[in-house]
Amino acid sequence: MTTVMARVKKTAANPRVFLLFLIVLLVVLFGSLKPAFLNGPFVLAPLMSSIAIFTVVGLAQMVALSVGHMNLAVGQMASLGAMVMGLCYDVFRMPLILGLLVGLVAGAAVGALTGWIIVKTGVNSFIVTLAMSFALIGLVPAMYSWLSEGAAFTSKPAGLDLIGRQTFASICMGNTCGTDAVPLIILPAILIMGLVWYLYSRTRLGREILVTGSNVKAAELSGVPTGRRLMFVHTLSGTLAAAAGFMVAASVGSFTPAIGSEFMLPSFVGPILGGTLLAGGFVSVIGTFLGITLTLVIRKGLDLFGVGLETMNVLLGVILLVALSTERFRLASGGRRRGGERPSGEPAQTDDPDQPDEALKDPPESVQTEDKELAR
Amino acid sequence: MKATMRFLSSSPNVTLAIIVAMGVVLLGFKSGGEFFGPVSVTTFFRFLAIPILIGLAQMITLSVGQLNLAVGSIGGFAACLAGVVVTDFGVPQWIGALIAVVVGGLAGIVNGVLIVVTKINGFIVTLATMTILMGAQYALVGTRTISADAWPSVTQFGKSEILGIPVIFIMTLIVAGLVSFYFAKMVGGRRLLATGDNETAAEYGGISIDRSLITAHGLSGLLAGVAAFVAVATLPGVNQSVGGDWLLPSFAAPIIGGVVLTGGAVAVLGTVLAATIVRLVDSARAEFQLAPAWVNLVVGAVVLGTVALGRVRANRAEALIVQQRVRAAEEALAEVEVVR
Repeated sequence: MTTVMARVKKTAANPRVFLLFLIVLLVVLFGSLKPAFLNGPFVLAPLMSSIAIFTVVGLAQMVALSVGHMNLAVGQMASLGAMVMGLCYDVFRMPLILGLLVGLVAGAAVGALTGWIIVKTGVNSFIVTLAMSFALIGLVPAMYSWLSEGAAFTSKPAGLDLIGRQTFASICMGNTCGTDAVPLIILPAILIMGLVWYLYSRTRLGREILVTGSNVKAAELSGVPTGRRLMFVHTLSGTLAAAAGFMVAASVGSFTPAIGSEFMLPSFVGPILGGTLLAGGFVSVIGTFLGITLTLVIRKGLDLFGVGLETMNVLLGVILLVALSTERFRLASGGRRRGGERPSGEPAQTDDPDQPDEALKDPPESVQTEDKELAR
Repeated sequence: MKATMRFLSSSPNVTLAIIVAMGVVLLGFKSGGEFFGPVSVTTFFRFLAIPILIGLAQMITLSVGQLNLAVGSIGGFAACLAGVVVTDFGVPQWIGALIAVVVGGLAGIVNGVLIVVTKINGFIVTLATMTILMGAQYALVGTRTISADAWPSVTQFGKSEILGIPVIFIMTLIVAGLVSFYFAKMVGGRRLLATGDNETAAEYGGISIDRSLITAHGLSGLLAGVAAFVAVATLPGVNQSVGGDWLLPSFAAPIIGGVVLTGGAVAVLGTVLAATIVRLVDSARAEFQLAPAWVNLVVGAVVLGTVALGRVRANRAEALIVQQRVRAAEEALAEVEVVR
């Protein structure tokens, strides 16, 4: 009996389960108050396509967080990737896949450059990515106005609309077609989630990245080439950002400089609500997805109630603060019960994002246990 | 030659001052001397006030090893609030201007208290308050622009000048002087630096980390409030875009000016000079008639260049910090002796 209780308690304490519970609760609540919320093609399909896009954005941030770094340039890397893709389609008339690949390589290249600067100079990732984001904010619109008419690339290669704007209703087998409530754009998102999950939980490379994130010195001493792992992480972050840029462009139907301009806050909210630590060393792909889903469900629901954009921004900020502080208090009280040796021993408490390695001199046990959960 | 080079790289401030001088000469030539005309000089200094103030606001949080992403949104919210209370509620205009400053300080204190109480990373807290305040600013003004006609005497103050130098710029320099004095001579400032340098040591030395964090964020918000006051006094009106483009300049000025991100050191003169460089880039953009996006590109590239090539300087700063530590320790010892 006690083991069952302990199990229930443990499950409830898992932030992912709690998020899922909240999402289900909100969907039921919104659905019963406003039946329009459950309308397939007009509400659920757009909702799911923004969840798909922002999950990829969240993952782009999550991989940087996994080593205790940040990528403030996610949005701008997305806009750069999208610009290169638009250029490939518009000017060079490339087919869909080829242009996509070139754009992803561009995202990877700018990510690699960022990572290289961070590793070579030892300057904090916050500043390097902030400066990079502003360099790109300047560069991308300038390139658009130079290379395109009307500051947008509007050529659509075959298949772009299919991925970006259509639902499973377009996929038919014989006479049975899919539902029109699920957009096709969730497929690339699921693929990317699977790949990132596989990287972190099944490959040596992923484990080495996490070790680097939880303690750079220990990783270095255990023979992990930490510099290369850090560069890899930023390269991956740039690639994922470019992928998200492609998804936005596909869903709106054109490549514009505005792509990615509102990525920054959601990119942090998703992973952090999902339990990813700012200090590095722990990630959760499902958590990132759930965190993004929760915020977007709330947005969509309030949108239906006619709540304005400004109130939603306020709310998004408040959710972030409340969610994180309850999480902290829960962990803090849990820590005390466990013997009280480290009453405030939660790793994310470090007030200084600049020194992840210092904050994790002694990795708290919560990291290790959660880490094992992921490995299972 | 070598000695000259060593002298030039010895002090970042000298390097910065030379860059400023070169920029001024270049712009002067390009504009055919028009850049030195009285109107253009006054305009240059008038719009230099905000970059300096927000740079200092960011520098104060950096001094304790924190960040304040909300500098722009605190400023924008405070400026719009001042506009709304004067226009819609008939509050006297100078009270309204004062409200901008006070609200900035209060918002900063709220940031600090949230960080201390919830123990969430300062980056995330200010990211959240940034979003909240941006929403609040939009809720206050919506899509309208509140015209500065409602506060003529504040605008008059913003326009007034002494010998061609705007009073608002002189006020900014006084603020910078006060900040410099605070960090150099006052106990509170020294406490902030100690906290930023080594939290554990500071705590063992009897400094309340919580109080330092709240003070730093409060002062940062206060300066953002002063910047809001400057915006109210110099802009033709306030709307939701005020403060929207303050984030990069606020980081660019202290970082180019030589402030280390890990805390424990400040560079008021460096920040002021670096803000001047950013302002020069902006003037150059206007002179060469380029799109505003180019300013971001150049400033971003300069920040990247500063951090990428600043390895030598970082090492020197570390040596300086060690020196400061030794000095601080000696001072502390001397204090102990006095107490005994």
